[in-house]
Amino acid sequence: MVRHFLPDNSLGQFLDGLSLFGALHGPVRTTEGVEVFGPVRTESDLLLNYRRTLIPPKKYLLPPRQTILNYTVAAGYTLPDEPEPHIILFGVHPCDLQGIAYLDRVFLGDRPDRLYRRRREAITLVGLSCEPDEFCFCTSDENIPRNADLFLQHVEHGFLVSAVTSKGEEMLDGLGKLLASSRITPQTSAEHRMMTRIREVARSGKTFPDSPLWERFAARCLSCGACSVCCPTCYCFDVLENGALDGTTADRFREWDNCLFRAHGEVAGGTNFRPDRRERFHYRYLHKYLGFGTLAGVPACVGCGRCRVVCPVDIDLTELFTEDGDACS
Amino acid sequence: MHAPEFDSVPIPARIQTIQQLTADTALFRLKLEEKLPSVFIPGQFIQLSVPAGGEIPISPADLPAEDGTMELCVRRFGHVTSLLHRTKEGDQVGIRGPFGNGFPVDAMSGKDVLLLAGGLGIAPLRSLLFHLLRHRSDVRSLTLMYGAREPAVMLFKNELLDLANTGSLRLLLTVDFLTETCQTEPACNVGLLPTLLKGVQLEPGHSCAAVCGPPPLYRCTIDELLRAGVVEDNIYLSLERRMKCGVGLCCHCAVGQYFCCCDGPVFRYRDIKDIPGAL
Repeated sequence: MVRHFLPDNSLGQFLDGLSLFGALHGPVRTTEGVEVFGPVRTESDLLLNYRRTLIPPKKYLLPPRQTILNYTVAAGYTLPDEPEPHIILFGVHPCDLQGIAYLDRVFLGDRPDRLYRRRREAITLVGLSCEPDEFCFCTSDENIPRNADLFLQHVEHGFLVSAVTSKGEEMLDGLGKLLASSRITPQTSAEHRMMTRIREVARSGKTFPDSPLWERFAARCLSCGACSVCCPTCYCFDVLENGALDGTTADRFREWDNCLFRAHGEVAGGTNFRPDRRERFHYRYLHKYLGFGTLAGVPACVGCGRCRVVCPVDIDLTELFTEDGDACS
Repeated sequence: MHAPEFDSVPIPARIQTIQQLTADTALFRLKLEEKLPSVFIPGQFIQLSVPAGGEIPISPADLPAEDGTMELCVRRFGHVTSLLHRTKEGDQVGIRGPFGNGFPVDAMSGKDVLLLAGGLGIAPLRSLLFHLLRHRSDVRSLTLMYGAREPAVMLFKNELLDLANTGSLRLLLTVDFLTETCQTEPACNVGLLPTLLKGVQLEPGHSCAAVCGPPPLYRCTIDELLRAGVVEDNIYLSLERRMKCGVGLCCHCAVGQYFCCCDGPVFRYRDIKDIPGAL
């Protein structure tokens, strides 16, 4: 793959060029001081050395609430027809790109999801390398994630730019004058020990049924669900209908749900298949690390570290994989 | 066979008749305005839309007829079922499906077939019963054991007694307890459903059982079925879970690493017996 050098002082023009292909979004800081993916007005908005956003880019593909059907008495149920605006999502770290790759497997597999596909096709991914911190363990065993359209690697005085897809090449075509050829070979990094361990566990299907950690987690978990909200691969959704008071119109929508919530396993009549937190943790563990259905054996953790950062009571499921956790199993 | 997308437009259907079966349970006969996209297998479920209320999974209580009608036996319990119980004949609802695998009717061929229904679990098994009665010569014997809380809430009782009188079905009924006003009910065992299995002996490998009922029913029935000689492979359990999408996407209904909505809702006991929390 050819890498081009983009000097720091050309980044603004580079971004202008990208924004010809769609609305530019990237890591920015809100007025409340939260780092989020959002619209980028000027180059100075962009956080080029951010650690992680609070909410991962899954929100662009699976909005927290999304209308799936409309209802009127006259027309019955109909599909909404809202065009998806094209978005250039700039500055996506390798872990979040891996998260999107996982969601693609779920929603574009043998049963493609219409709404997801429409949004996915309308988004262009521009990846950006990052510096890991003590919370994350990147999965990226190759330096350039394959699902980025373009990928930028931080180097001294600029970036190395690679076009990964034909869409990426098309975008670079018009930006050639900003780029210089480069002989810099970026550093490659070995896979993080934790990620190797997670892959081993997923392959072996270990469930750690006797680990005392489950009870310890359950005893202090607040069931706030923050770990799931901020997870780049958590996609559980509920389907709800919001009917007008007179019942003549309604919107049916899907909305992020959360396996840590009590209602997640509840059926009509009040029976709950996961009434306590221990069982809900087990369920989360099974889905996140061992996989359900056709993705059984595929771990969904991308090592972004968000759940470890946001948990208000410092619960970290990966403790199961450390030597102490293993000894308990 | 492919189930419809979770966000597909429901097939419009009109409520043809509403037959109140008990104080809180009614049989809704629907007339679909389009054909279902695939052949219905007993034990599969459909997603019923009640406009401005929402969608719920329901296992039809009969076999969809040539004229596009289908019966749903629904207890009033939550938001959507309460709205459904407020509808009138002629009102419009919507149907998507069928979803899931259904009972393996071919595997029942030549066997002594035992249907075990508890409470509202009679609804999906009534659909299987109709199928087996239609192909009665395919199975060696057909027995329905049905338990209800009390005589007043026993569903389809007269219909089942009529079927039993034709000789093609052996029917055993039980109620958990007799209420004072119901002392004169016809012959009916008093006791939980598994008590009907006491002393029953079936030929291992040549018998099978289909079970559907409230969640606690499964745990207390399995041991009796195994003791009666039904092998693990031939015990089919229709499991209940919270199924929102029907296609293995929304992730509410996982049983171990299976999805109840698309790998089930009917599971062989052998396949799920070691899964914690499955039963």
